[in-house]
Amino acid sequence: MATYKAPLREYKFMLHELFGVEEVSTWPGLEDATPEIFDAVLEEAAKICEDVLFPINRSGDEEGCTFENGVVRTPKGFKEAYDAFREGGWTSLSAHPEYGGQGLPHVLSFLVEEMICSTNMSFGMYPGLTGGAYNAIAAHASDELKQKYLPKMASGEWSGTMNLTEPHCGTDLGLIRTKAVPVGDGTYKITGTKIFISAGEHDLTENIIHLVLAKLPDAPPGPRGISLFIVPKYLDGDGGPKRNSLACGSIEHKMGIKASSTCVMNFDEATGWLCGEAHKGLRAMFTMMNTARLGVGIQGLGVAETSYQSARAYAQDRLQGRALTGTKYPEKPADPILVHPDVRRMLLTMKSQVEGGRALAVWIGKEIDKSKHHPDPAEREAADDLVALITPIIKSFLTDMGSETCNTGMQVFGGHGYIREWGMEQLVRDARIAQIYEGTNGIQALDLVGRKMPMHMGRLLRRFFHPVDAYIKEASVKPELQEFILPVAKAFARLQQITGFIAQKGMSNPDEAGAAATEYLRFFALVAIGYLWTRMVEVSLPKVDGDDGLFYRGKIATARFFITRILPQTNAHAAAIMAGAKPVMEMEDAAF
Amino acid sequence: MSIQKAAVLGAGVMGSGIAAHIANAGIPVVLLDIVPKGAADRNAIAEGAVQKLLKADPAAFMHPRNAKLVTTGNLEDHLELLKDCDLIIEAVLEDPQVKRDLYARVEAVRKDGSIVSSNTSTIPLQILTQGLPKRFAQDFLVTHFFNPPRYMRLLELVAGPETRPDAVTTVEAFGDEKLGKGIVHCKDTPGFIANRIGTFWIQASVNAAMDLGLSVEEADAVMGKPFGIPKTGVFGLIDLVGLDLMPHVSKSLQTTLPKDDPYQAIYRAPELFKRMIEEGYTGRKGKGGFYRINREAGKRKEAIDFKTGEYRPQQKVELESAGLKHPAEVLGHADRGGAFARAAIGATLAYAASLVPEICETVAELDAGMKLGYNWKFGPFELIDRIGVDNVIAALKAAGKEVPALLTLASGRSFYRVQDGKLEFLTIGGEYQPVVRPAGVLLLEDIKRATKPLAKNGSAALWDIGDGVACLEFTSKMNSIDPEIMAMIQKAIGIVGKGMKGLVVYNEGSNFSVGANLGLAIFAANIAMWPTIEESVAAGQATYKALKFAPFPVVAAPKNMALGGGCEVCLHSDAVQAHAELYIGLVEVGVGVIPGWGGCKELLLRAIANKRRPGGPMPPLAQVFETISTAKVSRSAEQAKELGILRPTDGITMNADRLLADAKAKVLALAEGYKVPEMQKVRLPGSTAEAGFNLAVADFHRQGKATKHDVVVSAALAHVLAGGDTDMVDEIDEDRLTELEREAFMTLVKTPGTLARIEHMLTTGKPLRN
Repeated sequence: MATYKAPLREYKFMLHELFGVEEVSTWPGLEDATPEIFDAVLEEAAKICEDVLFPINRSGDEEGCTFENGVVRTPKGFKEAYDAFREGGWTSLSAHPEYGGQGLPHVLSFLVEEMICSTNMSFGMYPGLTGGAYNAIAAHASDELKQKYLPKMASGEWSGTMNLTEPHCGTDLGLIRTKAVPVGDGTYKITGTKIFISAGEHDLTENIIHLVLAKLPDAPPGPRGISLFIVPKYLDGDGGPKRNSLACGSIEHKMGIKASSTCVMNFDEATGWLCGEAHKGLRAMFTMMNTARLGVGIQGLGVAETSYQSARAYAQDRLQGRALTGTKYPEKPADPILVHPDVRRMLLTMKSQVEGGRALAVWIGKEIDKSKHHPDPAEREAADDLVALITPIIKSFLTDMGSETCNTGMQVFGGHGYIREWGMEQLVRDARIAQIYEGTNGIQALDLVGRKMPMHMGRLLRRFFHPVDAYIKEASVKPELQEFILPVAKAFARLQQITGFIAQKGMSNPDEAGAAATEYLRFFALVAIGYLWTRMVEVSLPKVDGDDGLFYRGKIATARFFITRILPQTNAHAAAIMAGAKPVMEMEDAAF
Repeated sequence: MSIQKAAVLGAGVMGSGIAAHIANAGIPVVLLDIVPKGAADRNAIAEGAVQKLLKADPAAFMHPRNAKLVTTGNLEDHLELLKDCDLIIEAVLEDPQVKRDLYARVEAVRKDGSIVSSNTSTIPLQILTQGLPKRFAQDFLVTHFFNPPRYMRLLELVAGPETRPDAVTTVEAFGDEKLGKGIVHCKDTPGFIANRIGTFWIQASVNAAMDLGLSVEEADAVMGKPFGIPKTGVFGLIDLVGLDLMPHVSKSLQTTLPKDDPYQAIYRAPELFKRMIEEGYTGRKGKGGFYRINREAGKRKEAIDFKTGEYRPQQKVELESAGLKHPAEVLGHADRGGAFARAAIGATLAYAASLVPEICETVAELDAGMKLGYNWKFGPFELIDRIGVDNVIAALKAAGKEVPALLTLASGRSFYRVQDGKLEFLTIGGEYQPVVRPAGVLLLEDIKRATKPLAKNGSAALWDIGDGVACLEFTSKMNSIDPEIMAMIQKAIGIVGKGMKGLVVYNEGSNFSVGANLGLAIFAANIAMWPTIEESVAAGQATYKALKFAPFPVVAAPKNMALGGGCEVCLHSDAVQAHAELYIGLVEVGVGVIPGWGGCKELLLRAIANKRRPGGPMPPLAQVFETISTAKVSRSAEQAKELGILRPTDGITMNADRLLADAKAKVLALAEGYKVPEMQKVRLPGSTAEAGFNLAVADFHRQGKATKHDVVVSAALAHVLAGGDTDMVDEIDEDRLTELEREAFMTLVKTPGTLARIEHMLTTGKPLRN
């Protein structure tokens, strides 16, 4: 069976030892977020995830959602789990206290989300989408709408969705056809069809608040002509809630996350309210997307953690043959497969990227809090820049890594990984969607090179390159860090060169930037994680002989593995990037 | 004969502006106007005009002291001041009788051989000389300046049948060499060249915009870039000159042009325009024009909506045709921008083609008139060539318009061609004739047509301009200094060093150089490529040093803006031959750095060498500190001397077309027995001076005159200018000074304040005060 224990020791290392998260409690609005609160919340979250969500993960996958007469039923146990989840206050963790939220830092909710995704990614979709919708309403809607919707969304009584995609358009939302016609009383009549709507219809909450992109009659063509609307499933009626004229047309049959309902939503002159300004829907949408993209990255991380823990347990238990260099466990009939170099290679590949990726996520989680709460506007701007820069990297790298890690985890199990009862193939199927939705990973790479890189004349890049450059200078003179920092320094210098190369080439020919984008994003991620691993080594080195020495020795060995066996992938990426767009673009379309 | 003294009669905007510019040429000028009714001061008008000139923006005088060359007076008491004037320019009311009465009085006092001209823009010469004696008619011509006279390059000359030829050549030489104007000879027809075509073009454009439903912004956007017309377009231009002037100009053309002139048919005065004039919305000088900045709405940019006649926020132009580069593409486009261009530009080109030889002898003169008078990049015939003569003919036929005979004559050919490296134009006889430049004019444009470069890369080229002199030309975007320019300077030193006499650094772009390419720098800084940045600073220093110590004379010939790295090129040259319009300065602090390519060092050496400064070690330092720390930019070449950027011995050329020839002559003069300068050593006060500057800046900061980051940048500058850790006992050399510059530059470029300044400058074009 898949095994999972919340990695609380790991979280403490990240929060308290690596990133000094106690700093957030010095920022206005986060005074209550003390280290003790962090630990207490994580321990409680671990309990509900391990005890409530994890047990219904496999059964939820087997049963899936069902659709009948416009009604969607979640699998057995989901409603009860949701009620427990809601009553535990987990839906309101980072919501604003004004709307009944707990106002806890994002960096904390990141880790709670990771645990949810580790234990039941399908379940996590329902509160996850509500979070995105909550943020969009909080950022753009009028006070009246905020007062009406946010408290019940924070409490989890109502859930939320994002209705963007239509049958003929997903990436290019300028093409949407859903119409919004003003009624004259401040409401609009929304008509159109949306597809791939996660949590669009289900039986977990008493109301579902849809955020719908639509075009007003006077909308200019293209992406500058879309507006965002709040369209609830139930309206206030004289004698209680009244059903709005919208319905789920069907649900999709899909590869994974089967317990999450993916709906076709039909709006037939449904009543809605404008969220934000007319024609400025794209901006509002990006608020949802940015949160959502980071959330999807966390999904990749969460599923990968479970796959790693399960593979580790299996490799320790499964006895087969003997070590190549002679028997290691003579008391046992055979050695555990953990003794084999290739099995160890697989496990270290998983561990080094899961923990490295988590460090990246926690770093950015703390920066989100900084961007919202730091008293110095310059610090807020710098943090906001860094979050914007790294968001596509988190989305893309962590979900690619998540998918690869789940596949590797399945490999460790051999044939048992491929059959359903061990749960490893479910992780592979669940993880796969994260590379696709919320903007495919190719789109993320374009966002990085095409938008984030040139933005403000490269200012966003500064927020990463300057601190890393400064750290490399500092660490390079410490003898104990050299074996780690020198390869990172080399890769970093290469990243600088390649960044300049792409910026220059991309200016005269955008295809050059486009052809380099995916490799560049991966290169960037590997350098960032190499830098973070070196920092983790620096924290660990003084503690290797202490009570918890095994934990720190494990960190250092994992760092060494990453730096020597994973970071060199940058060489191949560099070669591919420097080859330019020609090998990608020269073939005639008809020759494909 | 040459003009030693001049007079201007009439001290209105044009008259006083002309007088100021004559003073700019160093020539004494008398400025007279009428005696105001009941005034205590009988010279009040002329005197008031000089006071206004001193406050004018853009400045009328190249240096305030030039005002002393203007003698003011009135037309009743001081006519005898005209006795010793060689040229008397009349710029009074546009009324033939008033003018003729004045001429008769002038005629009584002026000396034999003196020349009288009128700045009339509307009255035919033949009417002005009516009833005046032969002596007057022989000495009389029209000199039509454009507003403002210092800055607008066109001078239209019209000679009458009786005007003596040497009077024309004298005025021509004066206008060209002394006043720096581009002379265009016109026939005695209404509006001469530029206003005749310009007025038609404005009217045709206004009509087309309104008929086809274009917004103000759309019309100006379509009209701008592809046609080489300044980005003010039509409505922006009307705002600039004043909507209230339009009815005057059009009325005079209506009354003087023949009834069958195409202008008569297109003339219209929209109700909206009348209302705007009545209510004072006459343009930039009024309450606003077609555009305005609404200060009540937080400096919001607004434009007039033709449909409502009210202001609304300025709109981004979405027309596809406005984004096209080639004029033929715009004219062929199906959207309303294309239709607008066909109607407005098409009609204007056809009109221009119908006016040769009616208003001037050659297409080259007509083109020159529009280029110099309206700042068009291409004259009408050059535009026709770009579109294709036959395309224009076909378009006219398709629109059912008459095809002018000159266009038919050019069918299958072009109005200009290059033959054996020489530019030729099509005459009205159907033959090609070379374009002849005035004697002594040397243009790189012509050299480039006739020869191949000695060397060339993406940002610069090296040309042989004859007599053993080479010319280094910048060709990068806005002539910003980049690594390729540095490479070309190094290459030029090698090539010229092998047997040539010297080098001129010169180009014919709109500005000499706007400074270093910051886009490269900020990106490298943002990704922390510090060694790359330091190498580029060091490479620039090494290159400029090599230029200074090259074994041959180097003369920089800057025009208009020479900022930052562009200024530093001039500072490292043996001599400068500057165009009178020179806006030069070390503006690096605006982007949070200090001059890093030897600019601090060179300005310091010039200040120390200046014998006229007060003694002691501090005064030269203080002067340089002030100049650099406040990013002073000269508003003329004369002022650049005062700032210590140009040497007293550096030359000034009034006419940009003569700049290269003058610079070349200077190289040849210096080449005789040229000695390479020696590396200089200086004694500087070190930390005491540095502390002094820092105290002063701290004080400015307290008073709110210096920002937080100004303090940081100034401190770095103070350290360099003080000589670092030195004192008056030690001698330090030029290399040590550039090393200090480099260190300071690298410190500053890593600060967030500096990076924010660079980013702001590149994204908004304005300095950030952080």
